[in-house]
Amino acid sequence: MRKLMLGNEAVARGAWEACVAFGSGYPGTPSTEILEALAQYEEVAVQWAPNEKVGYEVAMGVSLSGHRALVTMKHVGLNVAADPFFSSSYMGVNGGLVVVSADDPGMASSQDEQDNRFLAKAAKVLMVEPCDPEESRWMAREAFTLSERFDSPVLLRMTTRVCHQTGVVNPQEREAWSSKGYLKDIPKNVLLPSHSKVRRFKVEERLLRARELSESSDRWNPIFKGSADIGIVTSGVSFGYVREAMPEASILKLGMTHPLPIERIRLFASGVRRLVVIEELEPYIEAEIRNAGMEVTGRELLPFTGELNLPLVEKALLGAPRHKVTVDLGGVELPTRPPTLCPGCSHRGMFTLFRDMKLRVMGDIGCYTLGALKPLAAMDACMCMGASVGMAEGLEKFGGPKEKGKTIGVIGDSTFFHSGIPALIDMIVNRSSATLVILDNRWTAMTGGQPHPGTGKDIRGNDAPQLNVAQVCRALGVRRVREVDPFDLEATRKALEEELAAPEVSVVVAVAPCILGAKLKKGEAVQIAIEECDRCGACIRVGCMGIHEKDGFPDVDPDLCTGCGVCAQVCEKGAISLPGVGRA
Amino acid sequence: MEITNILFSGVGGQGILTSSRVLALAAVHAGLDVKMSEVHGMSQRGGNVDTHVRIGKEVPSSLIPAGGAHFLVSFEKLEALRYMAYLRPDGVAYVCPLEIPPLTQNLKKDAGYVKEIDRILEEKAPRVIWVDAPAMARELGDLRMVNVILLGALSRRLPMKEEDWEAAIRERFPAKVQEACMRAFRMGVDHVASDH
Repeated sequence: MRKLMLGNEAVARGAWEACVAFGSGYPGTPSTEILEALAQYEEVAVQWAPNEKVGYEVAMGVSLSGHRALVTMKHVGLNVAADPFFSSSYMGVNGGLVVVSADDPGMASSQDEQDNRFLAKAAKVLMVEPCDPEESRWMAREAFTLSERFDSPVLLRMTTRVCHQTGVVNPQEREAWSSKGYLKDIPKNVLLPSHSKVRRFKVEERLLRARELSESSDRWNPIFKGSADIGIVTSGVSFGYVREAMPEASILKLGMTHPLPIERIRLFASGVRRLVVIEELEPYIEAEIRNAGMEVTGRELLPFTGELNLPLVEKALLGAPRHKVTVDLGGVELPTRPPTLCPGCSHRGMFTLFRDMKLRVMGDIGCYTLGALKPLAAMDACMCMGASVGMAEGLEKFGGPKEKGKTIGVIGDSTFFHSGIPALIDMIVNRSSATLVILDNRWTAMTGGQPHPGTGKDIRGNDAPQLNVAQVCRALGVRRVREVDPFDLEATRKALEEELAAPEVSVVVAVAPCILGAKLKKGEAVQIAIEECDRCGACIRVGCMGIHEKDGFPDVDPDLCTGCGVCAQVCEKGAISLPGVGRA
Repeated sequence: MEITNILFSGVGGQGILTSSRVLALAAVHAGLDVKMSEVHGMSQRGGNVDTHVRIGKEVPSSLIPAGGAHFLVSFEKLEALRYMAYLRPDGVAYVCPLEIPPLTQNLKKDAGYVKEIDRILEEKAPRVIWVDAPAMARELGDLRMVNVILLGALSRRLPMKEEDWEAAIRERFPAKVQEACMRAFRMGVDHVASDH
């Protein structure tokens, strides 16, 4: 049977075929669709975790029970889960445990471009890398067998163009596989130093055994015999570019990239005149080959950042790209079209206020990071998940009188549950007087509207226990917690002013559902009385696709405008009216 | 290796992903290999989006090289111009005559759109075929039909047969809109009937 599947869907299919019992993870582009696809298979228990570390630990518990478990995350998510990832390497597994790290070369949707192949090496676990959807399916499936055979978590390392590549796969039936049940083993599973010192040797032995497989396996590390002039070592998505750029070359395609088959590479190299490595991001494979004393090129032929593509690989291998641009757009200036907050988004009014109140905004990861872009430009810093809270505390404490009463942390609800809570505890017990604004829209929105602990739904859309953000803050010990309606700019401004002035930590929760996540019906568009407009541009500066310039005046697009009224509230002339409400 | 490259471009939310999936499904029904690269995540929030579809007997990779697209299917004029450099010298652009201005930053006059974009498009592209799919969709009473109309127009130059397209449409769309989709698809086919 031939079936069209997204790489991420194929991973889910492979895991299902391997009789996986459980899947967890935290949404993050480009990994998100794996768990969503896995949730389509009713035999599997699938759940979103509040963060990657928790997801990993639950999966580890499932593995201890003797069942197979999958845990998925984007590359930076593995930083969050690094603690259990590194330590579980010493414990090994009972039921197979497969960890997906979806890296994002070129940073299409990420804050950094880290190459997680180094994490597999550092944690001393096995790593496999598919190049297309069919490989994503069978490698995900086989990874569970590898995990049990070598008593190791297995890192299934994907990249954006593998995750989001659609192609033809050959789905298979579900394996007959049954759990061995729980096995009590204190020296293996309790990582006391005395036990870990013993396990440390087991880890090394396991890698030696895995390397034997890597060295000898034509399935994992196939050789495509071609011309003896050039031998190319490659892996993952780069394999396709190499095949297309130089079909005549000899190719060693590495599907298992930790442990690397150094002797297989040496044998391959001895049969070709020139050895080249084509790999995306860091020279991970190349450095190992060089360390083993072989002569090799690669990195100097390719850019150090970004995704590879066919013309880049053609240039590296042939000296010049075979494909050339012939359409000349010289002289035509194209306006950019960056992503923006949706019309009707509950964050727009908040960032309009932050900007107009000239606040120092420590931001966080989510749709609202777009509040940093013009014309809102109302964010001073954004680093990683949950960092807004700690950065606000630190800046407010040491920024001097200029930052006092001006500094806020801004975090979304999903990000707050992910890693904001321990930082808020720090604010409380270390007597911060900064203000934390939590944007509570009830969904993990940027990744496409996944439920989180505050949503009240599970991954399959069924009702689930629901945490209330304000209640959580009060329970932690914040005395000043208040909820505001982010579409009421005046009341929200007043609340912010009061909380900024308060000499203790305070939390302002802006509550309004994500229009996409909650699938809200679009409201009627606002109307502009052009004769009353003085062209001050305040409405344009809320940064909404629903309102734009036309002949020097603001103009509303009735197909896009949801009638949220933020532009109406910033219009000092009262020229913008809401349908049924009259002039604002 | 004979590979046909089709690049779709437009603005996030216009249905580009659906079109590319239907095209890829039709290729599978025709017994061809297909690889396609999609865009998810941040770029979907009103930014420009592109999907790459490559079909042939054997397709090794999913990204179309700049200068390598046989066809560019654009749902919006500015996004047709932005991706024009992907076309081969003998490439054809199918363009919806639709203007979605990017986010305006200020009230300076003419801040938004490229002036005389129709003329520039026709001048720069090897060949432009205008497909007023939004108008045709309105005629059919369902604006969501834009993507199948465009596919119909494109289909005349692709190796798949009508039954492959029909199978793809039936696989991708719910039963209640399948007939409407097929009508819309044929409308696209007829629109380019005089084109050889």
